Amino acid sequence: MARFAFRRLAAALLTVALVVSITFVLAHLAPGEPMLADAERFHVDPARVARVRAEFGLDRPLATQYAMYLGNAIRGNLGESFTMRRPAVALLLERFPHTALLAGAALLIAFAAGIAVALVQATRPGSWTDALLSGATLAFHSTPTFWLGLILLVVCAQWLGWLPVGGMTTPVEHQAMGAMGRMLDVGRHLVLPALTLALVQTAEIARYQRGALLDALGSEFVRAARAKGLAERAVLVRHALRSALAPVVTLAGMSVPALLAGSVLVESVFGWPGMGRLTRDAIVSRDYNLILAAAVASAVLVALGNLVADLAAHALDPRTTL
Amino acid sequence: MPRRAFSALLLLSLAACLGDRASRAPAGADGGTLVIAVPGDANILLPPVANQLAAHVTERLFPRLAELKLDLNTVDDSGFTPVLARSWEHRDSTTIVFHLDPRARWQDGVPITAADVVYTFELYRDPLTESPYRVNLDPIVSVTRLDSLTVAFAFRRWYPEQLYDATHHLLVMPRHLLDSIPHERLASSAFARDPVGAGPFRFAHWEPGTEIAVEADTGWFLGRPHLARIVWRTMPDVSASVSALLAGEADAMEFVPPPDEIERARKAPDLTLVPYPSPYLGGLIFNLRRPLFAGRELRRALAMAIDRETIVRSILGAYGEAPVGAATRMQWIAAGPVRQLPWDTAGAARLLDSLGWRRGADGVRQKAGRRLEFTVITPTTSRIRQGVAVLLQDQLRKAGAVIRIQPLELTVFDRRSHDGDFDALMFSRTLDPSPANLVQFWGSASVGGDNIGAYRSPAFDSLLAAAAAAATRAAAQPLWRAVLERLNDDAPAVFIYSPRNNAAIHQRFQHVTIRPDSWLATVATWSVAPDRRLPRDR
Repeated sequence: MARFAFRRLAAALLTVALVVSITFVLAHLAPGEPMLADAERFHVDPARVARVRAEFGLDRPLATQYAMYLGNAIRGNLGESFTMRRPAVALLLERFPHTALLAGAALLIAFAAGIAVALVQATRPGSWTDALLSGATLAFHSTPTFWLGLILLVVCAQWLGWLPVGGMTTPVEHQAMGAMGRMLDVGRHLVLPALTLALVQTAEIARYQRGALLDALGSEFVRAARAKGLAERAVLVRHALRSALAPVVTLAGMSVPALLAGSVLVESVFGWPGMGRLTRDAIVSRDYNLILAAAVASAVLVALGNLVADLAAHALDPRTTL
Repeated sequence: MPRRAFSALLLLSLAACLGDRASRAPAGADGGTLVIAVPGDANILLPPVANQLAAHVTERLFPRLAELKLDLNTVDDSGFTPVLARSWEHRDSTTIVFHLDPRARWQDGVPITAADVVYTFELYRDPLTESPYRVNLDPIVSVTRLDSLTVAFAFRRWYPEQLYDATHHLLVMPRHLLDSIPHERLASSAFARDPVGAGPFRFAHWEPGTEIAVEADTGWFLGRPHLARIVWRTMPDVSASVSALLAGEADAMEFVPPPDEIERARKAPDLTLVPYPSPYLGGLIFNLRRPLFAGRELRRALAMAIDRETIVRSILGAYGEAPVGAATRMQWIAAGPVRQLPWDTAGAARLLDSLGWRRGADGVRQKAGRRLEFTVITPTTSRIRQGVAVLLQDQLRKAGAVIRIQPLELTVFDRRSHDGDFDALMFSRTLDPSPANLVQFWGSASVGGDNIGAYRSPAFDSLLAAAAAAATRAAAQPLWRAVLERLNDDAPAVFIYSPRNNAAIHQRFQHVTIRPDSWLATVATWSVAPDRRLPRDR
């Protein structure tokens, strides 16, 4: 176990280092300039641009900048945002809980829905229900996240008025609510963005789960369970599903990058104050330090996600090697 | 109704609506929450370095010495209303002395004094503060405290917009809370996220990425605002913002983009669309560093080949107009007729022929083996500019010119426009009420800076200087008209469109007036009738 932990930690560090290096080079090679982000609105004073460049070390050779950045990063200093003049780490930490809540809720919905759909499909393989569910989930999977979000928003929030259009809380009224009221308020605001992210993921999970379930249902231990006279529901849930969950759980780890990428768009549509939107804004304004800090955070989250998925798969099926 | 008459009527009606703040709302009218959907988040709540959204907030928190009235007359003293300064006088041709209102207090109870005004000027002027507004204060030599409530502004020379420069660019800041912080660290200080002001509203809270809220200062020395609070809700997607308005989750939007979103908003029974003159101007700038555009006649011919009215109708529908030149209807200098190059395709063809640009077999004009062909860069973020570029491409093709459209990511576009690395570009400017931005964008001294097309004309510069020195608005008007006409004649750019702004505001808000350069300038006079209040208004 200790060897496994060491191996994964080393791999995670290597991943983070690679991501930072590649992002650093790409961000700095991309044309554009942080100080010109508002050039059409404000007078651009060349002296001011030069001063800010010097202050942030942007006037030095790229290799020097890279070495300085790595040196600072190792000491835990990921620099200050150009646009907001605050430590990039503080800005990300402020937003991280929101993205974690959104991604976590989306993951839960996606897995619950994906497994439920797969259970229905696996018990009726080749039927109309199977084909219909495959088609429906595939349709959601093929829909651009941005567009799906807007459709859900217009239908569920604007036309039907069931859920809020955007944001994370109800303005003014949220402050007057009790603890339970506040939680429910956040929950109502969470439904649409989480559902948008989840619907895109559901198809993939359902597809994997359906295949794994069909394999399991054809295996000898399931035949043995049936021969013992167990009810079909018990066979399906207690035996086949438990065995078929392990490969699907690894999908959870692989879903983290997709959820982070999807959150960039979903957070913009629904005004959800998460890391994705912060990262998008940082890229638009060429806020290098914030872009790099977001890349570090994403790499760490992806590495963690994979680690957790491996451990969960091992817990579900001890035959899998760590 | 002719557009100009409509604009004049609109301004007059807005001015008529302003009236006396205290007499407008009936008893019990104080209260109500204005939730504004905004596309982005504030950067820093510190006026010298505030971005566009942060400026909307800080202008509610920090007062000016005096405010522009609704007609945006930047020249005469009569165009200003006292705020922090109870009165002022021109002591001589280069000095204005302001007398501060002794009732004015910071929201922590400390009186506002001349030392605060001096500190504020020094803060804005210090290069370490990195304020983009610093350049606007160049004409001011010094600001001196004469006594605790009297402060003198000294100018380099006499000019009619001295009062505008002394008041409009400076939001007065509390010296007693800030002078221990080095200027270069102010933007990252706690004050920049939790400011103490002296305006009609006080800071309430800021949840990054979600909302910023301010609340009425019920003890404000000029009378409390009628609204209890204002909340800016971040909604990055425009369609989602309009949906929030339609669903009643937001009350207002500064600018509803035409034409699709306006049509959506128009259908909502609870919303009012409030039109107001736009500070935005867009068009095509030629890069005069390029030999192709160095000659005035070719630029004029291309300008004459462009049917601006059709472009505006196609892209903005009824929500835009072809401007009179390098000014929008928001600016007083754009009132009245201004000579422009006509849309005259036959005339353009004759001019091009006379310049030696002859049509080739493919219809494209050529001269000495060179095709009349150039690239127009446009930012990918602006659907309007991309649409205009496509129509330009079609119209100029008919005149025998080929343009290649190169969409660029915004920061790349900004970099290339700043470096002069383009043939022509689709520009968009947000103009100030003052005509001084004509100097900034077109004056020879600004080449290498904001005059990105490198237009140089001593004759134009002389006209600018004469107009800027005119003592009164009446005297200045014909001179500024001559400036605009000269620019139209020289055609360093084609001024194609200016959107007609429409703010969307929930109908329960009363006494709504909009100052075109700063749409919330009069928000302290807005109110909500007690019988129309929503739960969030109470």
